[in-house]
Amino acid sequence: MAERYDVIVIGAGPAGLAAAIYAARARLKTLVVDESVPGGQVKTTHKVSNYPGFAEDVSGKELAQAFTAQATRFGAKIAKAIEITGHELSGKMKTLTLDEEDEVEAPVVIAATGAKPRELGLPGESKFKGRGISWCATCDGAYFDGKDIHVIGGGNSAVEEALFLTQFAKSVTIIHQFDEFQAEPASVHEAYENPKIKVLLSHEPRAFHGEGSLQSVEVEDLKTKERKRLPTDGVFIFIGMVPRTDLLKGYIQLAQGGYVETSEAMETKVPGLFAAGDLRVKRFRQITTAVADGTIAALAAQKYLKEYRA
Amino acid sequence: MSDNVTEIDGSRYEAEVLRSAVPVVLDFYSTECPPCEALAPKFESVAEQFAGRARFIKVFRQGNRELAQKLGVTGSPTLVFFKDGVEVGERMSGEEIKKSALKAQVDALV
Repeated sequence: MAERYDVIVIGAGPAGLAAAIYAARARLKTLVVDESVPGGQVKTTHKVSNYPGFAEDVSGKELAQAFTAQATRFGAKIAKAIEITGHELSGKMKTLTLDEEDEVEAPVVIAATGAKPRELGLPGESKFKGRGISWCATCDGAYFDGKDIHVIGGGNSAVEEALFLTQFAKSVTIIHQFDEFQAEPASVHEAYENPKIKVLLSHEPRAFHGEGSLQSVEVEDLKTKERKRLPTDGVFIFIGMVPRTDLLKGYIQLAQGGYVETSEAMETKVPGLFAAGDLRVKRFRQITTAVADGTIAALAAQKYLKEYRA
Repeated sequence: MSDNVTEIDGSRYEAEVLRSAVPVVLDFYSTECPPCEALAPKFESVAEQFAGRARFIKVFRQGNRELAQKLGVTGSPTLVFFKDGVEVGERMSGEEIKKSALKAQVDALV
């Protein structure tokens, strides 16, 4: 027998946990499942400076823990390290199979599966994953104590994580395709002031090379078209995200780039199936906007459940 | 940690990993590493399923820098697979390690 919930949230990032806080506070029996530990992308962000309510910088991990504790306090059940091995989301009652064993069901599912770091898709990239190439500075920064490393990207994540990596590395060279950074001016200024950070603008990586482990990154100067190999001990890639929406493919038509189109109330085309957070088609993807999406989805879900039961 | 998962330091690598009579899954983990925390329960669960047929061993990277360097491991978590004293199969690393994929890879070794 499937265990019955009112609301099942898939993904325990800011959107999913905000939805869980609102749903649980409305006394809906709420389950949040996540394939990792709660926090989504926030948990590996070393520092969050623009989330309202925290006058001082807060570490992503602490913020993630606070979201989780709040959702738990109102009675939401959070199941971590769970793989969804089966799903049927099109009917009135939606079911999920967890880890090939447990069945759960609910009339409402809120998909808040977010996004994962984008890969470059370059030769050598998958070969050196975990052998010199990383997407997580908090996880792997300490491996590069006293080393010379490269960061690829020019947005907020790239610049802020580059700053974080200077705690460990001897030098951090940021490689960015454009001739100026897209990151917030405050971080860019800090990066230029940091003696450990070097900047290589108008360059794009083309391949990764090495025997066994990564030894160099091949870059192209976009102005002169000249290519060269830069010796490196490690490369961190922060070039944006791709939505995790494989699960929804069978139920809705995904928009360009794999994102999910919703109404203003976070409804998808399938009744009872909502979507919230970074997986949605929208212009800005921030912790604050994810939390807003989760809130709206949970409120809309309450209304849906009232009609559903009537 | 359960009975099915052992933690070693680098000095035990040869005896426990290379000379193991059964296949070994070696897990390099770090602190301040949410993907490592996420992997831990999956690792335990698969270890339990293969009890007696494969060994599941953890190595704390920060304390065993030399071994990580020797194996060219630069990210946590990283799973390295061994059979009869040699590394086999594809390494797995990062947040995307699925329990089903880990199970399938160990299944192919035992």
